Amino acid sequence: MAKLWAIIKREYLERVRTKWFIFATVFGPIFFGAMIIIPAVLAKRGQATAEFSNTRILDATQSGVGRRIAEGIARTRPPGSSAPEVILVPPSALSQAESTATRQVMAKQLSGYLVVNVQTLDGEGIKYAGRNATSLGDMERMRTVVRDALLSRRLEDAGIDSSRVRDLTFLPLRLNTERITDKGRGGSGTVSIIFAGAIAFLLYMSIVLYGQNVLRGVLEEKTTRVAEVVVSSVSPETLLAGKILGVGAVGLTQQILWVITTVIMFKLRGPLLAKFGISTMPFALPEISLGLALLLLLFFVLGFIFYSSLYAAVGASVNSEQEAQQAVQPMLILLVATAIFINPILMNPTSKLAVVMSLLPFSAPIIMPLRLALGSVPWYELAGSLIGVALACWGATWLAARIYRVGLLMYGKRPTLREMVRWLSYSR
Amino acid sequence: MTDFTIEIDNASKRYAEHVAVRDLSLRVPRGAVYGLLGPNGAGKTTTIRMILNIIAPDSGSVRILGRPSSDRSLTDHIGYLPEERGLYRKMQVKRVLRFLAELKGLKRDVADRRIDEWLVRLDLKTPEKDWGLSKIDELSRGMQQKVQFIGTLLHDPDLVILDEPFSGLDPINAQALKDTMVELKQRGKTIIFSTHLMDNAERMCDSVCIIARGEKVLDGPIADIKTGHGSRNVALGLNGTPSTAVGAVLSDRSLVHRVDDSNRYFEIEMAKDADPQALLHRIMATGASINRFEIVHPSLHQIFLERVGATGVEVGMTGHG
Repeated sequence: MAKLWAIIKREYLERVRTKWFIFATVFGPIFFGAMIIIPAVLAKRGQATAEFSNTRILDATQSGVGRRIAEGIARTRPPGSSAPEVILVPPSALSQAESTATRQVMAKQLSGYLVVNVQTLDGEGIKYAGRNATSLGDMERMRTVVRDALLSRRLEDAGIDSSRVRDLTFLPLRLNTERITDKGRGGSGTVSIIFAGAIAFLLYMSIVLYGQNVLRGVLEEKTTRVAEVVVSSVSPETLLAGKILGVGAVGLTQQILWVITTVIMFKLRGPLLAKFGISTMPFALPEISLGLALLLLLFFVLGFIFYSSLYAAVGASVNSEQEAQQAVQPMLILLVATAIFINPILMNPTSKLAVVMSLLPFSAPIIMPLRLALGSVPWYELAGSLIGVALACWGATWLAARIYRVGLLMYGKRPTLREMVRWLSYSR
Repeated sequence: MTDFTIEIDNASKRYAEHVAVRDLSLRVPRGAVYGLLGPNGAGKTTTIRMILNIIAPDSGSVRILGRPSSDRSLTDHIGYLPEERGLYRKMQVKRVLRFLAELKGLKRDVADRRIDEWLVRLDLKTPEKDWGLSKIDELSRGMQQKVQFIGTLLHDPDLVILDEPFSGLDPINAQALKDTMVELKQRGKTIIFSTHLMDNAERMCDSVCIIARGEKVLDGPIADIKTGHGSRNVALGLNGTPSTAVGAVLSDRSLVHRVDDSNRYFEIEMAKDADPQALLHRIMATGASINRFEIVHPSLHQIFLERVGATGVEVGMTGHG
């Protein structure tokens, strides 16, 4: 046991000490953060902004609609910004005023201008020109404000008291979405899809990354013949177990550090995003129960053991990196096939595809956690998936231990599949 | 307690394609320096791996220090230096050694103390430079071999197994290794080493076992083996390059059965019933200047060639490699 511990310790410490590990652990969350911030910056065009504070309304109707619109904008504007300026122009001077405003927008003195004319009063159309004209959010807000202004004017024309009109038409409606699952309310729908996708992606990446790491470690020990020294002190099974557990612990450490920094960054995202000029949407982190956390951990551990013992078997049966690249193909195909289905399953987590993929042992360690994060999974499916993965794990370690034991001390030609099958029957 | 460190009885190991070791029996006395000799592919490595319990024999038994080789507690008493040496290249020397010591059940403080002692002793730690803090990568080949040797001996094993320990060593390091082996023997340790350098084996070993094609050819104390092979050999040393006349004498089949020609030194196996004195006279008659003429037991090298079947003296095979 002390010897197993010595191996785990070496595997763990030697990896944690590398520059690559420190780099990936520190920059991982920054990378994730960038993945959140960059889309947000790009989406900024699509969101409502404070841009209207510096707009001009050219009212050529003498009807007061321009003033009403300005008031409407002022009512919904963010604190600290000024109300738009309203200029009453005679219809004949309108085109002159428009070209003046266009020049001012070009010179960045104005962000945009709105033209109110007779057609507007008829409800036929209104023109806005400005730098934020492509911002869907801004334009939607502008449309709503103009609509409200016209509506209230019509109501007043119909003889309804103006203060009543204002009260009746003020309707700052916001659509709040909330997902409901079998177990009840479960936070915002989008957030849990992002969360589930992130979990599946993280699991996939860790298994690929650290599985390869196990392979490279085994290959290094074999080619440098360190393996011979080590197996003269401990059994090959102990060496294999120590390696898988040590590398697995490195992966787990990295994930935990990533999750912690990500959560911290998420909590601090307000001020952080504000630096990029983005106001945060109020959404909460999905609640993760202890049970769910333990299940995710269990699936990671089983999935990692399953794949990394196969990686170790490959590492022991080849003699060089090049051979390893070829020999590892079948497993990569299994992993990539799983990754391809992450997206469709995210969109439709109760489909047949999702159920099957979460039961197959090779994809279950990634797909079942995804489904669990998205919502409820029938208990029998969860149990079936767990049992399947556990059995596959047992089979993979049994197989790997035998191939590892023989392959580790076999040099020269890469074994054929038939030879490897024969290895399984070698006593020792 | 048995008098033998290693007792192998009728051990065989078969692989799908070939038999690596067939019905091998040998005894290694406690405290002996024991040579395992044989050409490449003879089964030396398989035998060593069976002793180390890395592989188990298909049949027969292997007992180490009186216990079956499968006894896991044995590994802490055995030190092993594999033929092709290797260490974790990116790891610090001290950490590698500490890891190897921990695998043998050594406590960290004990390990650290011994590592320091050994590094100083083998000149890897001097007042100017402590190579223990360097990575394996940064060491020269010779230094890496020293580190590996330290790793083999850190836990002060009772049985030391060295697979081709001299291959690739420069004369200075080879001497250091030899000194250490002698010292280990004086402290009562048993040393097994495999080699195909017969001169080394002859000088260092108390006993040897020659194996070829997976089978034991002969074994026993060196003195017994040599006596058993008679004293029909003559060691001849000449000053200067031998003349063709000397060559003519040496190729006289009525006098000389076989000769191992090393240019100025010859090991001569006399023909049946030939008189060594007659040979001496004939050589003196050529006018050659003789600095050595001695009736000797055959060298281990000769015995090896004779018994392993490589009667290839004429075709220039020497067994050195």
